[in-house]
Amino acid sequence: MKVEIDTRSIWVLLGIKTLRPLFFILISIGLWAVVTMEPADGLSPEGQRAIGVFLLCLVLWVSNMVPVAITSLLAIVLVPLLGILPRSETYAFFGNEAVFFILGAFILAGAVMHSGLSNRIALTMMKRYGHSPRRLLVSIFLLAAVLSFFMSEHAVAAMLLPIALEISKALGLRPGRSNYGKLLFFALAWGSVIGGVATFLGGARVPLALGILQETTDSTIGFIEYTVAVFPLVVVLLIVGYLVLTRIFPVDIPDVAKAMGVIEKRAKGLGRLRYSEYAVGVVMLLTIAAWSTLGHTIGLSTVSLIAVAVLFVFRLVRWKNIEEYVNWGIILMYGGAIILGSALDKSGAARWLVESLISDWATSQWAVFAVFSFLAIALTESMSNAAVIAVLVPVSIGMSDNLGIDPALLTYAIAVPAGLAFMLPMSTPANAIAISSGYVSVKDMVKGGFIMFLTAWVVFNLVAAFYWPLIGLGG
Amino acid sequence: MSALGYFDNPWALKIDLMLRGIRVVDPLAKAWACGTSGIDMLLPEETLVNIPCREEFTERSPYELRKREETHYITDGVSEMNAEILPMPEFYSRKTTTGVPFGDIAVVHGSYTVITPSPKCDFFDTDSECRYCTLNKNIDGVPKRDFTVEEVLEAVGVVLKEGLSKIIYLSVGFTEGDDGGIEFLSPYIKAIKKHYSCLLAVEALPPKKNRWIDDTYALGADSILYNMGIFDAELFEVICPGRSRLVGRKRYLDALKYAVGIFPNGTVASHLIVGLEPPGSTRIGIDYLTGMGVVPILPIYRPRAGRTLRIEPLTTEIIIPVFKHLYTAVKKSGVNFKWVRDISMVTTPAEASMLMEGAESEMSLLKNLYGSHLGLKAAWGLSTIRRKLRVKNGDK
Repeated sequence: MKVEIDTRSIWVLLGIKTLRPLFFILISIGLWAVVTMEPADGLSPEGQRAIGVFLLCLVLWVSNMVPVAITSLLAIVLVPLLGILPRSETYAFFGNEAVFFILGAFILAGAVMHSGLSNRIALTMMKRYGHSPRRLLVSIFLLAAVLSFFMSEHAVAAMLLPIALEISKALGLRPGRSNYGKLLFFALAWGSVIGGVATFLGGARVPLALGILQETTDSTIGFIEYTVAVFPLVVVLLIVGYLVLTRIFPVDIPDVAKAMGVIEKRAKGLGRLRYSEYAVGVVMLLTIAAWSTLGHTIGLSTVSLIAVAVLFVFRLVRWKNIEEYVNWGIILMYGGAIILGSALDKSGAARWLVESLISDWATSQWAVFAVFSFLAIALTESMSNAAVIAVLVPVSIGMSDNLGIDPALLTYAIAVPAGLAFMLPMSTPANAIAISSGYVSVKDMVKGGFIMFLTAWVVFNLVAAFYWPLIGLGG
Repeated sequence: MSALGYFDNPWALKIDLMLRGIRVVDPLAKAWACGTSGIDMLLPEETLVNIPCREEFTERSPYELRKREETHYITDGVSEMNAEILPMPEFYSRKTTTGVPFGDIAVVHGSYTVITPSPKCDFFDTDSECRYCTLNKNIDGVPKRDFTVEEVLEAVGVVLKEGLSKIIYLSVGFTEGDDGGIEFLSPYIKAIKKHYSCLLAVEALPPKKNRWIDDTYALGADSILYNMGIFDAELFEVICPGRSRLVGRKRYLDALKYAVGIFPNGTVASHLIVGLEPPGSTRIGIDYLTGMGVVPILPIYRPRAGRTLRIEPLTTEIIIPVFKHLYTAVKKSGVNFKWVRDISMVTTPAEASMLMEGAESEMSLLKNLYGSHLGLKAAWGLSTIRRKLRVKNGDK
């Protein structure tokens, strides 16, 4: 048993403990007040209640007082309970395609990791390209990014962590002191974050945004269409990220010979390419091809679930192995978020919010785009990126009609920046993993992250303004 | 007026009785005392005392326990005071389901029941043994086994059910290791706390690392005792050679100081045995311990045949000022002494207050509030809440 005794005054501890129940009492009173008060002009009683639930979820998502999944479950319960939507309709939203796409993506990523394929790719790339400190750094940075194109950025960061730790140990890098140590873990975290926005697969936030978009407007965004639109941003951010990192933390070691020894030893330990790795790799490639070509016709989720079925038909994975890779909390969270978004839309609350809160300053398409992208990138630093989507997408879609903006464009404006969290460990698990290594401090992360935060927002808006019209988006 | 002068104050008489012992003529009373460390009696003002009656030195005691009709009384030949022999708990005549007499597992001392789950101490029968130790009862040389958690639980259950004590006191002898015996006691502490809503005091050796003190508190101990026995450094080395060499006096003091920061005020205690060192040294010890926030508990040394370590001369006239000093010191330092109460084996700081003028209200408060069922429940509840607030499990 490892215990810690908090020796602060008992009154202080009691005060802290009291805050939690007090918090819940206050937000319950707040919800009750919003739900029972006279509806505002132009707002239906259902809309008013939907706003009450929305505000409650917003507070809970930001404060993290309960797990995000539980907040979503609360939304699922409250929507029918307060008469915002009928019960059968509410629960039916949980069957949204996005939820099943996310489930499929989790299982596919789990299969890739469990087979050892992702580990092999990582080690092979580092072995081949990482012969100098800068090249090793670039290998890790790009590897994290490229792997995050195909699997959750969180999983990539977690997968690369032990390798980065071993390299640091082999090189004798001192935690908290070594610049190269910081660089390695920043490369791991930021590479995952930047790569994670390149496709639908880097995280579940884009599918979630698509789910809300689809439920409310019946329109959608294709797999390739999205990647083509976002890829230049990813390339620019990778270059800027590398320059920012090496400028703030100059490389302070002469060579990486010892690290290569570790990488080679690990790579040797993998043995030859096994059937399961080969087969999972083929399934993954075919799945990506199907997402790109058939995604529009049969649906992304259908492709994902067929791929999952294939994995099990050929016994490439077992359910027991996959269970630990499936984040059921995130799936619940997304289901709840889609329900909440639909409730806001169908009750007219989203439209009312837009008209009363944003319409005054929303004078042009690009002003709206810039503001939503800024809100998304700023909020994602302190709250779950999925929560950012759940909060902003329904509101932005509600606005699109008034301003004559393509709702898909505003979905991009939120879904992409919501994945670009660089500044704080709580922003995304990849950052938290970097901090947990002991090499990167929160101060380091804020310093470099702030530059990346501003750069990412500016570059995203520039890409949207100058590149997207070239590919027929938002023109 | 009696020849000895203590019959007008039961608390002073308690000290004199513990110092000199008593001669017991009544066969029934003798039977009671047989097999225990002394005879538990209740003097006026509900003053609980365990009076030595079997040791050699008691044969010279001026006190004698007599019986007139159905009433027992203590007399020195001139004066007398009625005294009630506490009925032998039924507990002592019963056995666990495994056949172990409950009396082997637990000994009732007023509101405390002392349980020593292992009869072993690495110092027993070696040069390292504390010279005053009376716990080494393995006279026949047959190795005694540890009591199981289930046996101890059964004993605690019976003690609490019979209403014999409200506080369980677990103790352990010396064993090699960093933990001071807490690792061994851990399953017992956890089990008692899991099954019973009682307060639990733990007597252990100071562990080498403070994290064991944290663990002791986190496990459920409401009070901790690291008994120095002797404050004087040189005498400690001579009388407790094993503890001096393998634990060290400094570690006792450091561990007590650290424990004060972890446990509630007044629940960290240490014995200083009166009579093993000069009274002046005991006084210095009292000041030092209370200065740290530790409650000194002062048992009186009971000499064993062939092992007379007592400082001479030692009389009640000499001892009473030490107890008065104890009360003054705990009051001055603001150490809560309400936890240490109703123990037949020692004179508590609260009882010491009754040796002074104008302290009566504190004793009545203790009896009425802290000794009541409600008071004990409240103490247990507050102790539990405090632990929940303070302990953070690192594994979570």
